[in-house]
Amino acid sequence: MNWGIQMAEMDKTTGEFDLDALFAEARGQSADPSPDLMARVLQDALAAQPVTAAVVSPPRTSRLRQFLNAVGGWPAVAGLATAGVAGLWIGVNPPSAIATTAENFLGTESDLYLVDLMPGYDFNLAEG
Amino acid sequence: MPFDALADVSDDALLVLYANGDQDAARSLNVRFTPRAFGQAMRMLGDRAEAEDVAQEAMLRLWKIAPDWRSGEAKVTTWLYRVVSNLCTDRLRKQRAVDLDSVPEPEDDQRSAEGELQETARMTALQGALAELPERQKQAVVLRHIEGLGNPEIAEIMEISTEAVESLTARGKRALAAILAGRRDELGYTDG
Repeated sequence: MNWGIQMAEMDKTTGEFDLDALFAEARGQSADPSPDLMARVLQDALAAQPVTAAVVSPPRTSRLRQFLNAVGGWPAVAGLATAGVAGLWIGVNPPSAIATTAENFLGTESDLYLVDLMPGYDFNLAEG
Repeated sequence: MPFDALADVSDDALLVLYANGDQDAARSLNVRFTPRAFGQAMRMLGDRAEAEDVAQEAMLRLWKIAPDWRSGEAKVTTWLYRVVSNLCTDRLRKQRAVDLDSVPEPEDDQRSAEGELQETARMTALQGALAELPERQKQAVVLRHIEGLGNPEIAEIMEISTEAVESLTARGKRALAAILAGRRDELGYTDG
């Protein structure tokens, strides 16, 4: 019997077992995990796995969003709208100061566009 | 993807892949470490159901620590040995608190060959003797003589000095031999 051999292998001086042989035997014992355990552990692994940073295409941006991004968002749009409405209003109903300034520049009294650039032409025509 | 496509990838790198959401890395880590954790737990506890629980718990801790794993700081194997070892020690402590005489029974494999029966008997005796050792001694003896680890690695796992490991294993081995010698008759074995 193997156990008997183990006994026979006892160290005669100390009366100890040949523990190393026993350890070697224990080391050689294969304890394979059951497929069920492997499956459970894998299930845990996938459940605990950090969410995949999936490669997603950048979200499509609408033309409005692109425009907003370009001008600086809704606050900028508010400014643009205000400026647009003010410009339209000034065009429709200009304040007197602006009208006067415009008249000074453009002139409403002197008809500069009637300047005769070739005064002799009439004469030549008359003379034939 | 082939089963062993990640066989050449280091443990650290696998953990990083896992943390990045790679499912194949999860499978590789499972195949690489679960049998190891289970084997160690089985040798420490001698009970398949308990060992499976410990292995699953240890692996769960690995999955959770993966995103924070710092490559190069500790070996995954060392870390896992420590976790399994501590979980087993906790279970043994609770077992003792419940029943001082409880000795884990070996699994019944329904094996009929005489040699295997004898081997089972010897392993039962070894497990029984190991169960009587103080926890730290048992831990050191199992890691040193059954897991076959070196003293420096055991020192790292148990977070003690190498000298303390040597002392624990030496005392553990002596105590084990004494227990087994005393059990020889009790177990009904006789010299051949």
